[in-house]
Amino acid sequence: MNIQYEEKDIILQVENLSISYGEKVIIRDVNFIERNVVRKEINQGQVVAVLGRSGRGKSTLFRALTGLVKPSSGKVLIPDYSQAPSNGMQPAKEVEEGDVGFVDQKYTLFRHKTIYDSLTFALRKSGEKGSEKKEKVMKYLIEWGLEKVKDQYPNELSGGQRQRVAIIEQLLSSGHYMVLDEPFSGLDIGNIQNARQSFKLIENGHDLNTIIFSTHDIELATELADSIYVMGYPRLDDGSLGTVGTIVRHFDLKALGIAWRTEFTQDHLELVKEIKSAMLAS
Amino acid sequence: MNFKLWVKPFENLAKKDRFTISILWVAMVLAYWLITTAGEKKFFPTPLQVWQGFAALYSEGLVVHIGSSLWLCLQATVISIVVSLVIAYSYPIPLLRPLSRAMSQLRYLPLTGITFYLTILVTNARTMQVWVLVIFMSLYFITSLLAVIKDIPQEEIDHARSLKCNRWEILWEVIVKGRFDYVIDVLRQNLAITWMMLVTVESILVAAGGLGVLIKNSDKFMNHGRIFALQIVILLVGLSIDYTLNTTRKSLFRYSKFN
Ligand SMILES: Nc1ncnc2c1ncn2[C@@H]1O[C@H](COP(=O)(O)OP(=O)(O)OP(=O)(O)O)[C@@H](O)[C@H]1O
Ligand SMILES: [Mg+2]
Repeated sequence: MNIQYEEKDIILQVENLSISYGEKVIIRDVNFIERNVVRKEINQGQVVAVLGRSGRGKSTLFRALTGLVKPSSGKVLIPDYSQAPSNGMQPAKEVEEGDVGFVDQKYTLFRHKTIYDSLTFALRKSGEKGSEKKEKVMKYLIEWGLEKVKDQYPNELSGGQRQRVAIIEQLLSSGHYMVLDEPFSGLDIGNIQNARQSFKLIENGHDLNTIIFSTHDIELATELADSIYVMGYPRLDDGSLGTVGTIVRHFDLKALGIAWRTEFTQDHLELVKEIKSAMLAS
Repeated sequence: MNFKLWVKPFENLAKKDRFTISILWVAMVLAYWLITTAGEKKFFPTPLQVWQGFAALYSEGLVVHIGSSLWLCLQATVISIVVSLVIAYSYPIPLLRPLSRAMSQLRYLPLTGITFYLTILVTNARTMQVWVLVIFMSLYFITSLLAVIKDIPQEEIDHARSLKCNRWEILWEVIVKGRFDYVIDVLRQNLAITWMMLVTVESILVAAGGLGVLIKNSDKFMNHGRIFALQIVILLVGLSIDYTLNTTRKSLFRYSKFN
């Protein structure tokens, strides 16, 4: 029994994206489109996973998706919700820093702010009143099991705690988009469970909410994502492996009927195998 | 006590052992001092001579001189911090970057070159003392501050950007507020240079007094005991400034965990 869904407006479009650092081209000709997925009777956001072997350019792609690095060529487009729709379509704009939440691989935080202060800072542009902000921050702290450490500084936290703070900060600050670079590394089983729940919270919190994450845990990616991209070095004409990263495969888990299932099935396992061989070949 | 551990590299000793080792060293230094000054020909003054030197200094108003030196140092430091911070914080602004770079490179200019122009500009000797110190401190201060700013990882700046900070907010949050504890540490590191220069600078104006003047005077009399006592005093005052700054940093900024 397949889950019914519809694909609507484009929510993310990456067009001929290339990035080089100095002379060195890191990723080239990255193209993909993600659309707003709509399901009946449920808020269904989008969860996109980017897989690929180390050094293939996942983090580099993410820096472009969040507007932190200017593309050498090509562009990253998101809908511009500040403008009125024309012909039933939201006008697009190039992504700018701050439009998209970003949690980097190292879970960077403000070193001089306590957890509580950091989260309040993330809400500074929300336009809410002081008491509302406080309530909201406390709610997150409790939900994510951080209320005991709320008055500590980042260097007094464990890696997993820092990461959760980094995620909440972005949830509070940015709009519908959130990019997470390896959000599950360094977490224990319990933490991963929490992070999964928060993925669900974000995913079903709003129709337009979109999470893009990278991971080296392929099984987990097939369980969480509804769309998986594999980054790698493409085969060149002479059969040898290239040296510039790009997207080598795309798996649409919605179309495959694997997305949003509640348990890990044989279908997932098959997909994992296929992804593994795609990764190993690139 | 396991003495083998005392020579094992990277070994973390118990507090008691570490204390014993310190005591041992102090005892050895004292013993060496006593033995080498026991005979006829001495290189160092004897502990008694040093004590007498110290007593003489005290009766000549050592405390007032220390006060004078500290006051000079404080004046120079305050001016220099303000100047250096303004220049260092302008580093991220492309238009002003050459200025902060150039200021840091000026530290290779020799002291005499700068004092020459200062004497033309400034006539009051006390002001002169302050400004010579200010210029020197600032050049080193700026250099160290720039190193701190350049060391800030890109991730910290990107983190602020991803939280919708505009560029000025990043400057304020990450560079100014986020590294304020480093400013105190930079000050502490560079104050040592100033403290050393104090002696030279204070000789510009003998009437104003200060530790530098005391040392210059003792020099004339070839009074070893006095010189030795003064050196110890200068060292101790310097070390206590160092200690005060370090403790201040750690108690003001709980997150400041380096050294
Ligand atoms: N600032 C930089 N300057 C030059 N080269 C860089 C820079 N940052 C990354 N690279 C190079 O770009 C390539 C891709 O790096 P990236 O961090 O995007 O890989 P990744 O897929 O995220 O790897 P991992 O899974 O290990 O995190 C690497 O070869 C890396 O050496
Ligand atoms: Mg990476």
